[in-house]
Amino acid sequence: MSAHSSTDPKTAVLWDTHDHGHDVISTRTFGFFLYLLSDGMIFATLFAAYGVLSYSHSYAAGPTPASFVHPWYTFLQTVALFLSVLAYGMGMGGLKRGSKSGLLSGLLAAFVLGVVFLGLDIHDMMDLADHGITIMTSGGTSAFIFLTQTHAAHIFFGLVWIAVMILQVMIQGFTTDTVGRLLSLRMFWHMQAIIWVFVYIFVYLWGYMS
Amino acid sequence: MMRQRKTMALWGITLLTSLWAVAANANIFWIFDPKGVMAETNLHYLIIDVLIMGGIVGITTLLTIWFMWKYHKGKNRGAYDPHWSHSNVLEVVVWGIPIIAVGFLSYFAYKGTFEVNPYNPTVITKHMDPKGDPVEVDVIATDWQWLFVYPQYHMAVANELVLPVNTPAFFRLTSSDVTTTFFVPQLVGMIDVMPGMRTKNALLSHNIGTYQGYASDYCGAGTSWMRFETRIVSKEDFKNWVARVKSSPNTMTYASFDRFAKPYINVHQRVVYYSHVQDGLFDHLMMEVMNGKTWPVPPAMTENMVAYLQKQAAEHRD
Amino acid sequence: MLVPLAGGWNPLLGRLALDQIPYNNPILAPLFVVVALGALALIALITYYHKWGYLWKEWLTTVDHKKLGVMYIIIGLVMLFRGFVDGLMIRTQQVWANGPDSSGVFGAVHGYLTPFHFGQVYSAHGLIMILLAATPLLVGFMNIIVPIQVGARDMAYPYLNALGLWITAAGAALIMASLFIGDFSHNGWFGYAPLFEIQYSPGVGVDYWIWTLELLALGTSLGGINIIATIVKMRAPGMSWFKLPIFTWASLSANIIALTSFPALQLALALVASDRYLGSHFFTAGLGGNLMLYTNLFWIWGHPEVYFVILPAFGMMSEIFPVFSEKPLFGYITMVAASFAIAGVSWLVWLHHFFTMGAGPEVNSFFSIATMLVGIPTGVKVFNWAFTMYRGRLTFSAAMLWAIGALFLLLVGGLTGMMLAIPAINYMVHNSVFVVAHFHSMLLVIVYAVFGSVIFWFPKVFGFKLDEYWAKVMFWLFSAGTVGVFVPMYMLGFMGETRRLDYVFNTAWHPYLVAEEIGIFLYCLSVVAFFVLLYVSIRDRVKNQVGQDAWGTSRSLEWLTHSPVPFYNFAVIPHINERDEVAWRRQHGLVQKQPEKYLDIHMPNNTGMALYIGALTFVLAFALTWRIWWLCLGSLVAIIALMIVRSFQGDAGYIIPAAEVERMEKEALAREARIQTGAHPLPAGGRPVPGEAIAYERQDKL
Ligand code: HEA
Ligand code: HEA
Ligand code: CUA
Ligand SMILES: [Cu+2]
Repeated sequence: MSAHSSTDPKTAVLWDTHDHGHDVISTRTFGFFLYLLSDGMIFATLFAAYGVLSYSHSYAAGPTPASFVHPWYTFLQTVALFLSVLAYGMGMGGLKRGSKSGLLSGLLAAFVLGVVFLGLDIHDMMDLADHGITIMTSGGTSAFIFLTQTHAAHIFFGLVWIAVMILQVMIQGFTTDTVGRLLSLRMFWHMQAIIWVFVYIFVYLWGYMS
Repeated sequence: MMRQRKTMALWGITLLTSLWAVAANANIFWIFDPKGVMAETNLHYLIIDVLIMGGIVGITTLLTIWFMWKYHKGKNRGAYDPHWSHSNVLEVVVWGIPIIAVGFLSYFAYKGTFEVNPYNPTVITKHMDPKGDPVEVDVIATDWQWLFVYPQYHMAVANELVLPVNTPAFFRLTSSDVTTTFFVPQLVGMIDVMPGMRTKNALLSHNIGTYQGYASDYCGAGTSWMRFETRIVSKEDFKNWVARVKSSPNTMTYASFDRFAKPYINVHQRVVYYSHVQDGLFDHLMMEVMNGKTWPVPPAMTENMVAYLQKQAAEHRD
Repeated sequence: MLVPLAGGWNPLLGRLALDQIPYNNPILAPLFVVVALGALALIALITYYHKWGYLWKEWLTTVDHKKLGVMYIIIGLVMLFRGFVDGLMIRTQQVWANGPDSSGVFGAVHGYLTPFHFGQVYSAHGLIMILLAATPLLVGFMNIIVPIQVGARDMAYPYLNALGLWITAAGAALIMASLFIGDFSHNGWFGYAPLFEIQYSPGVGVDYWIWTLELLALGTSLGGINIIATIVKMRAPGMSWFKLPIFTWASLSANIIALTSFPALQLALALVASDRYLGSHFFTAGLGGNLMLYTNLFWIWGHPEVYFVILPAFGMMSEIFPVFSEKPLFGYITMVAASFAIAGVSWLVWLHHFFTMGAGPEVNSFFSIATMLVGIPTGVKVFNWAFTMYRGRLTFSAAMLWAIGALFLLLVGGLTGMMLAIPAINYMVHNSVFVVAHFHSMLLVIVYAVFGSVIFWFPKVFGFKLDEYWAKVMFWLFSAGTVGVFVPMYMLGFMGETRRLDYVFNTAWHPYLVAEEIGIFLYCLSVVAFFVLLYVSIRDRVKNQVGQDAWGTSRSLEWLTHSPVPFYNFAVIPHINERDEVAWRRQHGLVQKQPEKYLDIHMPNNTGMALYIGALTFVLAFALTWRIWWLCLGSLVAIIALMIVRSFQGDAGYIIPAAEVERMEKEALAREARIQTGAHPLPAGGRPVPGEAIAYERQDKL
């Protein structure tokens, strides 16, 4: 392991003789994957905080999730989000075939289903507020609302992004830039669905049963 | 360069010796001068740790200095080996020594943590005098005073803690609004005091004397003045002292505590005795805080402290 | 939905009002005048010399990783200076406000700072030093050095890199704004639950603290992604993992920590913000809140953070020792393993920051032992550095002195850290100035490593060396200051002095406080020496020019290209054969061997977009602090709009034709040859000056 070389200095290649540029798409998606990793850490921490704030005394004699979550209602949201991810995936099939319209219709469907998800969420929040359950009520409801709405905010920005991509593909077609972004967006959208699974299980099902 | 280094060294030495001279005059190193069982145990572990770590760090320092001296370029004191960068033996040594040392330290860390565990310190329970009944004290921190409630005597004292010698004292601690820390360097280590929560600590001293206690964690504008003298007195004196407190005209009810807990900077180190305390004050306070009660800090304090103190003196309690 | 406020609020300006500007504060008002005059003078100078265009084209819109790195370092140094002035203010207050008889001025009972103002000073000091001095300095060096060390043309995402810089700059601007508009937090750099809740901290200070930290966390995370991706994806051919230069390894391990731990901070602060703005109960004492949750969340980030800043410093030391020992680094593989061991264990130790919170003895001893485990890989590093010197040929140049200073400080800090790690000891010195002395020993390791690196890599970036004599003078003055301030501080810790005291009640401590003040004075002299160093070095820049291998004994890849580094880094990407490629090439007489054929080079275009978005993040954070809702919404929408615009524009970059590359290379080589023969290639006082040497007129767009 000393500096004694194993390479023969006489024949060694010193300079890269041909410029093999880096794979732009894979570099970008890797970076975006790293971003998602840190985003996932935010959610992991948030779930931990939720766990700490979901003991019975965290609700300070106020309402507990058992009394205000509706797993069946939320199940609709689950369906909407999963269909949206599915639609996105089918759209990406269009990309593989090189079919712009296939991609666009997939994205559009994903967008609409995402809007449905968000609409259901907003309706749910308004309903809770009507029953006096807001972020101010207790530590437990703070955690409940902050967690679900952080996820909703991600969905919102995802929707903005989908809309942008629809426009971009319409205008620019399939370029390195747009394809790279479509791939990143797919990762993002899947990730939101995965996180939603945790939200659904830990917040809605578990909350309903406890 | 050489001359400069020498002057620097000289500077350093003068500085250090003058510091040492001051230190030798008065025993102000509280941590090295423990007067309570808990603090003594802590010091004991400090010495063990410094011996182990100091040994390794000292040897490493000397070794490094020796290498610097020996392999100084141009001095030609040691042989130059431009390729030497690996040795299996040394590899084992550099990992092995710290691993063994950490092994020893872990043992002491584990043992010590139980001995001075504030909730159940075996050094105290072991020393417990079967005849000397423990004293119980409920400690309540406010912004920015200490209230010591003696539930056995139904009395309380603000900003002074008095305990009988050779008798274990057990504390329950809570705070009315923000977090701080309870600390008497020569008697017992720190424990956090938190609103809406209860922590515990314990203390046993065989040395009559007066020791400084204070809030050792920042909790707002009055922290630096949030102190309490801790007096360890003979059992006789303790009885007399209790009688003195009992003769005070002040009493403490839930309502008067509400007033007491309003932000107050104790610049004059005021001590107040309360001959009677409404039972269950400690638990009552905890419940109130958990139900959302707070004693907000007035924004006026942020700007001009002299002015605030005048205001405090004018509208308040001294 | 919103929390009611104690003070006034209006829809147009939020909480902002004239009385928030401390025009009558006897310390801040004059300071403001000085800062404003300085800024005006700077603007006048730039205008006078017609440098706006240059500044805009070459710096403000640049995506070149070296220039971004230089700007990071400038931010870091300026903030180090600001942090130092804070340190000076802290020390002066404590030596003055000692004992009940000490006098007071400016509305303070003792000394010259009221408790709240004093609280702001140390809180700002801590935050600035860790996140705006140490972090940008280290990120700056990673920016400059890592891409060159892996043989890349730039970072993986040049535009994102610029964005990271400008968001960091926005954070710096925000905390500077808190000096003159409103207050800063007085809750310490890490914040206290529930003291930071709006009932106890009604002003805007805590809000400044939240948003400054959020910006810095965001900027640092973006930088972290970039550096990891650069190392993973952009390595030159032949550079397998175990040929990676050690500083690059250190950067990788550090940024993995950053990427995984900063989210915890971002979340913790978002929850604090939620409490303060929306009235939730995450960290309140009542209504189901849990204040200990905050402390845990903060230190889950806070502890890894300190290793995030120390690991690159270790990497720097690992680069400096071999070069001035004329030997390879001892135990390269173990060094790498140790870095990752430290990174891994750093996740399991956070509770040692609050042993006194009353967790059970099982929990406390678990975290105690986990903490001490970190000592093992750290010890390995120390020993390996020592064995790097063993059988070497040591030159005690200024850079080496700083590195050795760092090593000794690490030993002191480690010894005291291991004391703090044992709960039985911690109970006695937690929250005391002993802790303060411990972490300054450690954090000064970073400052020492950074000053060593400034000297070490300066010639690489600017093409000439810094003056050795003044660099050493500065080193000795600075070290004397360190001894003067922190040795007495350790002693005070054993006397029981707690930290953050705006009034020091015990007069027996006075001599030590005076000694610390002398240390501060020595620090002041070292700052003067630093400016002399800069002046002398720039004056003599022509005499001190260097070729590609500035020290003659260098080892890693950055020394293979010219000094200053051309904006494309390498005319032709090198093929890596050995771990210390440059040392190997030198040993076999291959350093001078140039490529036979040049190729076109593809480079990214400059863009002002990153600067605009950075500026908007400042506006957003400022508006949030003052609760100017329309401005929040406006700036948020503007940020998203700009991001969308940028995504539509894309960047195809531009091409430098092979012939042009060859011309520039020939020029650089000729210059190098003249330096070697001692013929000064440029008239005294002419170029190169910092920055200009790497300027290149580019034909825009592809
Ligand atoms: C990287 C981190 C870092 C660094 C380097 C420092 C450096 C210093 N710190 Fe700081 N400090 C902290 C991080 C740091 N500190 C933190 C986190 C806290 C806790 C805060 C809290 O309690 O919340 C703290 C608290 C703290 C206190 C404790 C207050 C208290 O609790 O009682 C004190 C008191 O003396 C202090 C002093 C100093 C001094 C004298 C230095 C000196 O070492 C400074 C030396 C620096 C110089 C001499 C400047 C050199 C600069 C140049 C040469 C560049 C100039 C260039 C240009 C302008 C372009 N610091
Ligand atoms: C760069 C920063 C840095 C680094 C590297 C470290 C390194 C270490 N720190 Fe420090 N620490 C801080 C910055 C840092 N710390 C800060 C900022 C705070 C307080 C923040 C605040 O409260 O404001 C703090 C506080 C802090 C505490 C809490 C104190 C308290 O508030 O009560 C503790 C307790 O365990 C601790 C321990 C350690 C240990 C064990 C190490 C170890 O990593 C040290 C390892 C090194 C060695 C051990 C020396 C070299 C090894 C050998 C020579 C081999 C022999 C070794 C063995 C046998 C083990 N640190
Ligand atoms: Cu920690 Cu309550
Ligand atoms: Cu730590």
